[in-house]
Amino acid sequence: MSASLVWGVVIGMTVVNICFRLVPIAAMSRLSLPKPLERWLSYVPACVMASIVVMEVLRPGGRWLAPLQNPYLLAAIPTAVVYRTTRSFLGATLAGVAAFLAFRYLLG
Amino acid sequence: MRLGSPIFLGYLPIGAAFGILATTAGFSVAQAVACSALVLAGAGQFIAVNLLGAGAGLATVVIATTVVNLRYVLFSATLSPYLRDMPLRRQLPLAFTLTDETFGVNVTDLRAGTADARSMLGVGVVSWLGWTLGTAIGAGAASSVGDPTRWGVEFAMPAMFVALLVAQITSRRYVVAAVVAAILTAACSFFLPGAWPVIVGAMGAASVAAVVNR
Repeated sequence: MSASLVWGVVIGMTVVNICFRLVPIAAMSRLSLPKPLERWLSYVPACVMASIVVMEVLRPGGRWLAPLQNPYLLAAIPTAVVYRTTRSFLGATLAGVAAFLAFRYLLG
Repeated sequence: MRLGSPIFLGYLPIGAAFGILATTAGFSVAQAVACSALVLAGAGQFIAVNLLGAGAGLATVVIATTVVNLRYVLFSATLSPYLRDMPLRRQLPLAFTLTDETFGVNVTDLRAGTADARSMLGVGVVSWLGWTLGTAIGAGAASSVGDPTRWGVEFAMPAMFVALLVAQITSRRYVVAAVVAAILTAACSFFLPGAWPVIVGAMGAASVAAVVNR
């Protein structure tokens, strides 16, 4: 692939991403949003995280795994427990990786 | 800084994986690092490298990654009510470093009332550093870096998302919204490609929750 094509892609993606990320914050934060829209937006974080967890934990790498053969799903349980008790993202992430390694080893 | 540290740990190996993949596909080290530093979009960057490797043209790659990154519009809109009193020059770095992970951490802290402009900027900068530095390491040492998956790093980001999900569940109505999102996303994943199940599943579930809890 040519160097100019790669730079073109990098610049194109940069412009699109800045627009996507900045325009709603810059424009909507200066408006008074209707109540139904504010209510809808309040549910977005929980819904997005649940959706991402389904994709990353239940079908890692785009492939569905049987629940008891899935180290991602099994490791998600202690991760959730550690976060719930400690409220530490770093602690939960480290505990999750340790649990994942243990389950992956046990499941062969 | 402290809030961004788990993201840094997660981004470093995935950034390195991107650096290895990009340089193997034909990017120079400078191009791989510039891509991560300027674009900061995990899935979008991997797709771009794959498509370029398959011989796709400029328009195809930019359009495909645009679709994958549509969710940033949703994140940006969700953050907007919290950033009302912030001048544009302060909004700009927050928007530039908006990713799935920085969104999750910052929105959790904003809701808890513990976030301010400085803490959110810290999360963004630390995450950007992890992603860019990881890419530089991967691109610079593509052949000598061992397989990072033996350390279980592929679970770092999923673990973060599990914790972020638990952090969002502050009352029963959010439990219901999350369960609906999970079911919708799982169903959509059978017939929608790429990041579409997340976009459709999350937007659909938020709509259901907003109507039911009127």
